[in-house]
Amino acid sequence: MIVAEGLTVVFGRTVALASIDLAIPPGVVGVFGPNGSGKSTLLRVVAGLLSPRRGRVTWRGSPVTARAESFRRAVGYAGHAAGLYGRLSVRENLELFATLCGAPRARVEGLIEAVRLEAVASTAVADLSAGVRRRAAVARALVGEPELLLLDEPYANLDDDASEAVSDAVRHWRAPGRTALIATHGAKRLKAWADAGLVLQGGRVAAWGRYGAEERPSRRGAADG
Amino acid sequence: MAEAGPARAEAGFWAKTAALVGKDLRLEARGLETLAPMVVFCVAVALLLAFSLPDPVRPGRGALAEVIAGFLWVTVLFAGLIGFARTLESERRDGALDSLLLAPLDRSGLFVAKAAANLVGVAAVEAVLVPLFWLLFDLRLGASWAALAGVALLVDVGFVALGTLLSALAAQTRSRELLLPVLALPALVPVFVAAVELSADLFAGRGFDALAASGWFGVLLAFDVVACAVGALTFEYALE
Repeated sequence: MIVAEGLTVVFGRTVALASIDLAIPPGVVGVFGPNGSGKSTLLRVVAGLLSPRRGRVTWRGSPVTARAESFRRAVGYAGHAAGLYGRLSVRENLELFATLCGAPRARVEGLIEAVRLEAVASTAVADLSAGVRRRAAVARALVGEPELLLLDEPYANLDDDASEAVSDAVRHWRAPGRTALIATHGAKRLKAWADAGLVLQGGRVAAWGRYGAEERPSRRGAADG
Repeated sequence: MAEAGPARAEAGFWAKTAALVGKDLRLEARGLETLAPMVVFCVAVALLLAFSLPDPVRPGRGALAEVIAGFLWVTVLFAGLIGFARTLESERRDGALDSLLLAPLDRSGLFVAKAAANLVGVAAVEAVLVPLFWLLFDLRLGASWAALAGVALLVDVGFVALGTLLSALAAQTRSRELLLPVLALPALVPVFVAAVELSADLFAGRGFDALAASGWFGVLLAFDVVACAVGALTFEYALE
């Protein structure tokens, strides 16, 4: 369970997140909203990479902080930038992060296959298209088998087949107790299989709800304080 | 659903640190973006000095040995600062700093890895520069090469440790290239004074003056211990 209480983030005079209260249960949660609505900021705060001005976020009852090795062991994050070394190949990047995360090498090959990067696995990341780099970034976030997965625009620059590969990789990762926050403009793509949706608007929660068979996020759901 | 992966056989601190050092060395080998300018700078300075200083083979060369030692270490100092300024360049350019900050690795390992990669760069520069100075300035090292290597190692450890830490601090600012020397130069004065004092004796063919040398070795050792400890303990805060 991710719990945000009075979460406020300010950049200069811009309020990126305005006193958000949320309780997000395990599952795959789509984070939607227009540009500047606070999606990326929310993910960075939940990743422990950004400290809020006020309020706090806890995950499984403990405050999130990237300084805690136990938390870092549990989180997989792919932000706007791919977070991969351009002069290393996709495989070399994934092997590096697999070593840091304590994941077996076999996991690297499995992920390369899962996000359909076999043909470019030995190519330097700098020589790849933006879409292929996005897929590699998702693979990097998944390499440590995280319990908390945070993906910022994983479908950016991807065609339908590549998007489906990314979705498949996350669905394959999904397990009871695990939580994923996926910020995207591609709401339709994610709504088809996500467990819940969160809509941000101007740094505030505009809608929050769990998806049923026919459900879609409702205005100001119960978890939004 | 999640795959039932094999049990983790997690690498230890040193294996993870070695992986990061290997990554930095591999990146450098493929681009030579740091080492090449450092070496070019050193060669240019050495040649400039060779053409501008008086003939080294002249009476009273003991005094000149101190001057040459000063030039050698100042060249190493500025070449090192050129390299240190790029300590986090690959992370900054590729947006990989967040990935590293979230890696489940004791963050002192990040410091050790970055410092080790910088140490390799500084040592490589010295491996070019010392023979070049020997050729150009008729240094009479004789059997003192090993002693000079020992001095260089003691100098490099403290120099690299402090330079790596300060480069991380400077990297968080817009004027990082300017800020690094402003922060580093005053702090590095004792290291390079010791380096000059110790190597001048060697360059003059005198060997170490035992009493004076023990004091300067003490300065270097103390600096190394403090710089490494402070770097390992505070690097993660500098990165944030």
